[in-house]
Amino acid sequence: MKTRDIVVRAGRSLRQAKARTLLTSLAISVGAFTVTLALAAGAGGQAYTNSLIKNNGDANNLAVLAKIDTGESDAPKEYGTASESKKQGILTDKDIEKIKKVDGVTDITPEYNINAAYMMRSEGSKKYEAPLSIKTDRTAIPLTAGSLENNMVPVGGVIVPEDYLEALGFTSAGDAIGKTIIVHIEKPSMMIGGKSTESQDKALKIAAVDKKSTTVLRYQTALRISAEDGKAIYEYQSSNAPGNNQYYTVNARVAEGKDVKAVQSAIESAGYSVFSLQDIQETLFQFINIVQWGAAGFGFLAILASIFGIINTQYISVLERTQQIGLMKALGARRKDVGRLFRYEAAWVGFLGGAIGTILAVATSLFNPAITKSLNLEEGTKLLQFDPITSIVLIAGLMFVAVMAGYFPARKAAKLDPIEALRTE
Amino acid sequence: MIEVKSITKTYGKKHNAFLALDDVSFSIPEGASVAILGKSGSGKSTLMHAMSGLDRPELGEIIIDGKDILKLKTKQIDNFRAHQMSFIFQSFFVQANESCYDNVSLPLEIAGVPIGQRRRKIEAALEAVELIDKKKSRARDLSGGQRQRLAIARAIVNDPKILFADEPTGNLDSVTGGVVEDLLFRYNKDRGVTLIIVTHDADLANKCDMQINIKDGKIESITGQKGANS
Repeated sequence: MKTRDIVVRAGRSLRQAKARTLLTSLAISVGAFTVTLALAAGAGGQAYTNSLIKNNGDANNLAVLAKIDTGESDAPKEYGTASESKKQGILTDKDIEKIKKVDGVTDITPEYNINAAYMMRSEGSKKYEAPLSIKTDRTAIPLTAGSLENNMVPVGGVIVPEDYLEALGFTSAGDAIGKTIIVHIEKPSMMIGGKSTESQDKALKIAAVDKKSTTVLRYQTALRISAEDGKAIYEYQSSNAPGNNQYYTVNARVAEGKDVKAVQSAIESAGYSVFSLQDIQETLFQFINIVQWGAAGFGFLAILASIFGIINTQYISVLERTQQIGLMKALGARRKDVGRLFRYEAAWVGFLGGAIGTILAVATSLFNPAITKSLNLEEGTKLLQFDPITSIVLIAGLMFVAVMAGYFPARKAAKLDPIEALRTE
Repeated sequence: MIEVKSITKTYGKKHNAFLALDDVSFSIPEGASVAILGKSGSGKSTLMHAMSGLDRPELGEIIIDGKDILKLKTKQIDNFRAHQMSFIFQSFFVQANESCYDNVSLPLEIAGVPIGQRRRKIEAALEAVELIDKKKSRARDLSGGQRQRLAIARAIVNDPKILFADEPTGNLDSVTGGVVEDLLFRYNKDRGVTLIIVTHDADLANKCDMQINIKDGKIESITGQKGANS
């Protein structure tokens, strides 16, 4: 028999036992629903975590610190045995040169400690406190206006928080883009606590306006400037201060396409402590995976239970259709054909169950806005994300499972003796 | 030409072994109408099953067109039945839930007839049994006589060479039974198809060219054999 004919006949037999087909399919659909939903929530959770991480750090950025521990023991070292810089946990320009040489490191920016005295819109306008921060890595920032190339501040540019706009005299975020503000930098006195004698005004062009976001875990309301400008200010402010060119942390940037892990361990083996966002990302993903597969596991249990439903249904179907099977065999249908008829029926049931479960699960994505709201997530976040390929694989898998479940009933049908089956009582 | 040579078939094990067919031999010329006549339990159904390859006797040969079908592999016998033989049963065995069209389509599907050729054959078969207007009706809506006519349409749709009919009129009243008989004999004469009717109805048997009387698994008598050869 041709496959098409068997598929059509199998479908027709199922239509004739509508209630039974539907009930068996529904049992499978419970499992399919649970698995689909678990995977969708996992995918959504991962996407959300990704955006969370992107807005809180840069995966290609490594924070390098001086290594405190030396040797095998965690016990304190005797005074005077450790090298000077390591003892103090401070990195110098020499360290920077060393880290720069590590293969895969493109850029290296120390965390400069700088500050501004005040900011103002223009000469003569009102002065405001101005926390100054240097954007050293490529962490994504949610913006209200403007745009950034590679999430970096252009040299001579600045990102202004939304909350500063009014004070600086801008009517809207869009209005501020391209305008300049002035930041007043003071050079500290040589004497501790002494009055500063030297200062300069630095004009900065507003490149973008940023905003608070729930995906940013630790939002600092501050003016963000480029690493280059930061360095200039640092050099200006520290030119006559002690401890010049000493840093607690330097940010090493891993070249695109390089393995962050490998570079991290290379720097570590050079004698430094390194923290990367990947460490955190991996931990978070691992957690999501556990939850996701735990939930999916219940779905698989439901599928397992439904397998017995399929077996039962198919056995009943074989009993009911003994005559049909006998007739087919008398007419020359081969064992294989009869077996296939019943296996295809099982496959149809698996397909229906999978499709119903998937459709129901996808329908729950209508609740995405409600879920986002109730969990207080960033607006527009979709915690349930469906992947059509996953669904196709799942449905195909269920069809396969159903066929396996239908194996014994199908074999019973194939083995039926046509003479017995057609005996008229 | 169908040659049955020394067929022996036993049911059951040693102690309660039952000899259903005991050294049965005869031959049927091509295109003949033959009645296998006997009481119930005489072995006439077993003989039909053996001749159609549904059952396998322990001994003997059944030679159809020069080939011993008992020596064929299962696959080949199935193929043989799909293309050369057909069946009509006492209780019709039409699929009540299916339309007449789909019922008649089944043998074509089993024989693997290309889809494009089916429609013409099915309609011709339904035409022959005067059920073409019921093409789309479900078989459950048909009367007993109509169901048996549908079964005949199903039996002839793939142009078989041998048509087995197991008590074809057993469940029908004499009028509808007569219609079914006419259809079968007409088909036998017009197409030269070998018609083998298993029955205990002597009147029906007498309408055949040849009668094989079976009793207790043995051939009691064969009549009309020469007439069939003419």
